Amino acid sequence: MRFDLTLALADRPGQLLKALEPIAKNGGNIISIIHEREKPAEGFVPVSLVVDFPSKWNLRKTIEDLKSLGVAIVKSEEIVELKRLTLIVIGRMGIKRLIESKLENVRITSFEVSAPTTKEACVKLDLEVPTESVDAVMDELKKVSKEENAILISPV
Amino acid sequence: MKALIIGFGFIGRDLVKAFYEKKDAIRKIDRDFKVIGVSHSKGYLHNDEGLDLQRLQHIKNLEDYGSSYHAGESSLGLIEKSEADLMVEATPTRIKDGEPGLTFIRKALNSGISVVTSNKGPLVVAFHELTRLAEKNGCELLYEGTVAGAIPIFSLVRECLQGDRVLRISGILNGTTNYILSRMYFDEMSFELALKEAQERGISERDSSYDVDGIDAACKVVILANALMNRNVKFEDVEITGIRGITQEALSLAKKSNFAIKLIGTIDSTLEVAPKLVPINHPLCVHGTLNAVHLETDLAKEITLVGYGAGRETVSAVLNDVLTVLRKKKKAA
Ligand SMILES: NC(=O)c1ccc[n+]([C@@H]2O[C@H](COP(=O)([O-])OP(=O)(O)OC[C@H]3O[C@@H](n4cnc5c(N)ncnc54)[C@H](OP(=O)(O)O)[C@@H]3O)[C@@H](O)[C@H]2O)c1
Repeated sequence: MRFDLTLALADRPGQLLKALEPIAKNGGNIISIIHEREKPAEGFVPVSLVVDFPSKWNLRKTIEDLKSLGVAIVKSEEIVELKRLTLIVIGRMGIKRLIESKLENVRITSFEVSAPTTKEACVKLDLEVPTESVDAVMDELKKVSKEENAILISPV
Repeated sequence: MKALIIGFGFIGRDLVKAFYEKKDAIRKIDRDFKVIGVSHSKGYLHNDEGLDLQRLQHIKNLEDYGSSYHAGESSLGLIEKSEADLMVEATPTRIKDGEPGLTFIRKALNSGISVVTSNKGPLVVAFHELTRLAEKNGCELLYEGTVAGAIPIFSLVRECLQGDRVLRISGILNGTTNYILSRMYFDEMSFELALKEAQERGISERDSSYDVDGIDAACKVVILANALMNRNVKFEDVEITGIRGITQEALSLAKKSNFAIKLIGTIDSTLEVAPKLVPINHPLCVHGTLNAVHLETDLAKEITLVGYGAGRETVSAVLNDVLTVLRKKKKAA
């Protein structure tokens, strides 16, 4: 899991190294680091890190350790990678049914309904889905469209 | 080597022409190559000295060859008595039980005769049984023409990707549906009209269900999965959605977002044939009657092959399989 971690370090030498130690100790893998030394505010320097941890627990341990070292935590947030999916649904499945299905964390960024010249309506949807839940979301959509007798056209 | 051709339809006749036209190239590999038997449903020709390919390539009915014709006799008898080294099997596909090809192939392999087939039926029904049988009897069993016509997908993996593991395969495996979807996409035809045109142009069978409902593509998915990904799967394992329900509106919506809709066969954790949205710059986005196969492997990562999936071009695959058998047998001898 990837996290955005922003710390406020005292503007003294050696602080950064001191702060990195608990991250490594708790299984964190640092992906990027921005140390804004030229922007100290009231004696503190902000450091923004992107860190991969095996789980949330490792992040919690790291934060505890950092706090006990006197490092202030400005922000700690999971970075969710999103995947954009385009889908077309042919059939009478309403948008409502789609939205009401159990699709957690899915954002519909746009949808377009074609003016139907045939009896089957046709909807194009653009979705944003956390990368790790793409398979689950596709399975659920497949299930719903089957129940509604609609054809789901998913990306190749 | 002595060869039999079982089935003298479109493929069988084209192969005879190719044997005749390429006789010099064939002789370079095997000076004594000859076709000693050819059969159809009503009987067979047999001459142990070799049939006259020039004469054979001009006839449509085996009865018209003149001599050597055995009316009303089964191909099984020909396979039994011929002492051939190689059999090309090109009888009609029946996916329910693989017959009549399955019985012919079993008979040949059990008699130590190598087999080249363009018939999906026997492989869909009994892939692993037949490959084991070939191995046990020291024979070759090659089937390049069964999937994606002239595209050398099995040869490519066998010869050129020997160290790779195939992780996923996706592809346009049926030319008829690709033709229909292309006409709908580019010329805004309805499904019904595009299908009718495909039938009139001889691209689709009279019974269009085999193509349009995804059955043909699903057979190919089964063969690819068993042959290239070491699976043990059956036709029933493929989840199939055909293209009957694809509307003009769906294609216009796809087009506006730079996608085409293609009938795609996919083999990864599941086996599926279904219409999919394919970005127009994706290597699988080919049109007309073209087929395309996209391989994902551990080392080479991605390889896409594009070519003709049926018709006259298929003879290229069948002939190459025959030449492969000739070379291997020559090496072994
Ligand atoms: N055509 C293509 O573009 C293409 C491409 C790839 C793969 N294939 C596959 O290749 C195979 C042959 O295709 P095709 O187009 O050549 O088919 P075809 O034109 O229908 O010819 C089939 C031949 O098999 C003979 N036959 C039928 N039952 C038989 C039996 N019990 N014993 C002996 N012969 C029998 C038929 O005899 P009669 O003449 O007496 O009826 C005919 O000569 C099929 O499995 C097909 O799916 C075809």
